[in-house]
Amino acid sequence: MQNEEDRLELLEKAHQLIESIENNDDETAGDLLNTMSVVREKSLFKEVGQLTRQLHDSLASFALDDQLTELTDKEIPDAKERLNYVIEMTNEAANKTLNAIDEVIPVTNEMQRQSEELSKKWNKFMSRDLSLDEFKKMSGEISVFLDASCKNSKFVHEKANEIMLAQGFQDLTGQIIKKVIGLVQNVEDSLVELVKFSGPVETGSAINKEEKGKLEGPAVPGVVVEGAVNSQDEVDDLLSSLGF
Amino acid sequence: MKILVVDDFSTMRRIVKNLLRELGFTNLDEADDGQTAWPKLKAGGYDFLVTDWNMPGMTGIDLLKNVRANPDTAGMPVLLVTAESKREQIIEAAQAGVNGYIIKPFTAATLKEKIDKIFARKAG
Repeated sequence: MQNEEDRLELLEKAHQLIESIENNDDETAGDLLNTMSVVREKSLFKEVGQLTRQLHDSLASFALDDQLTELTDKEIPDAKERLNYVIEMTNEAANKTLNAIDEVIPVTNEMQRQSEELSKKWNKFMSRDLSLDEFKKMSGEISVFLDASCKNSKFVHEKANEIMLAQGFQDLTGQIIKKVIGLVQNVEDSLVELVKFSGPVETGSAINKEEKGKLEGPAVPGVVVEGAVNSQDEVDDLLSSLGF
Repeated sequence: MKILVVDDFSTMRRIVKNLLRELGFTNLDEADDGQTAWPKLKAGGYDFLVTDWNMPGMTGIDLLKNVRANPDTAGMPVLLVTAESKREQIIEAAQAGVNGYIIKPFTAATLKEKIDKIFARKAG
């Protein structure tokens, strides 16, 4: 029922209806029943009409909101690619680091063994316990050891640099994960919009997107970014074409 | 030569600083985004800026624009080290007056090459 007035009117008619039935006044009873059902139908039509309008509006806004389509068609599969790439990058960085360590440890072990051996001989020499032949042998060994030390220190240094560069994964995967967090936020917002659509009164508005100037972050294999270069060489070529 | 290294990820700042040290640059300072870097640069004393692009607060490109717009810093060489690889962005950086552009992940050799190039140009 629309309002109190309608309710009272209906109540009044109901009383009249009971009265006319009690009085065996079929004609009045029939008229009253007709009037009452017309009122009922009218308000029912009005409500159905309102519901139809709401449904139409919701469907129209929903269809217009390409945010959800974009999310399900592109961004969620992209997010999966991105997260897989994070696993790949962390795996690669861990392997690079462990490989470098595997190469370094035998070298430092060998250096340690040789320096301990030479140290013993040197102490013997210092306490004048070394024969001339032993001294000559030790001199040769020291010479070889010094050469090897130079070479090995350089090797260890290079490996340390490899380990250091491998840690760049933290920045790159961090950027990728931040983007995925942004996507999860978008999904949440879109779901909130969806809940609003299915609500009785409110209509949702499409979420605005900032496409222009959007930063894409690290390149991810399998995720195509329009207009992105594929290597440092392409960056160099592009810059030199611009007069750099 | 005093160099300012700007990146929001501390690991990347450490990596860049270590590599610069390897190349013989020992006077290094760092900032975690454009907003903290800009007051340092304005205060003076820096000869070279190495910056990331995508950072909260102030991005690398805005920092570069600030550097070029201020007469005291306008001539400072700026190297962008970033994961952003869109042509549109590289062109934007070039137009803003960047001196070198390196995409992450990068190698020590690339960093050395770009720095050598920047200073060879500056000297010539």
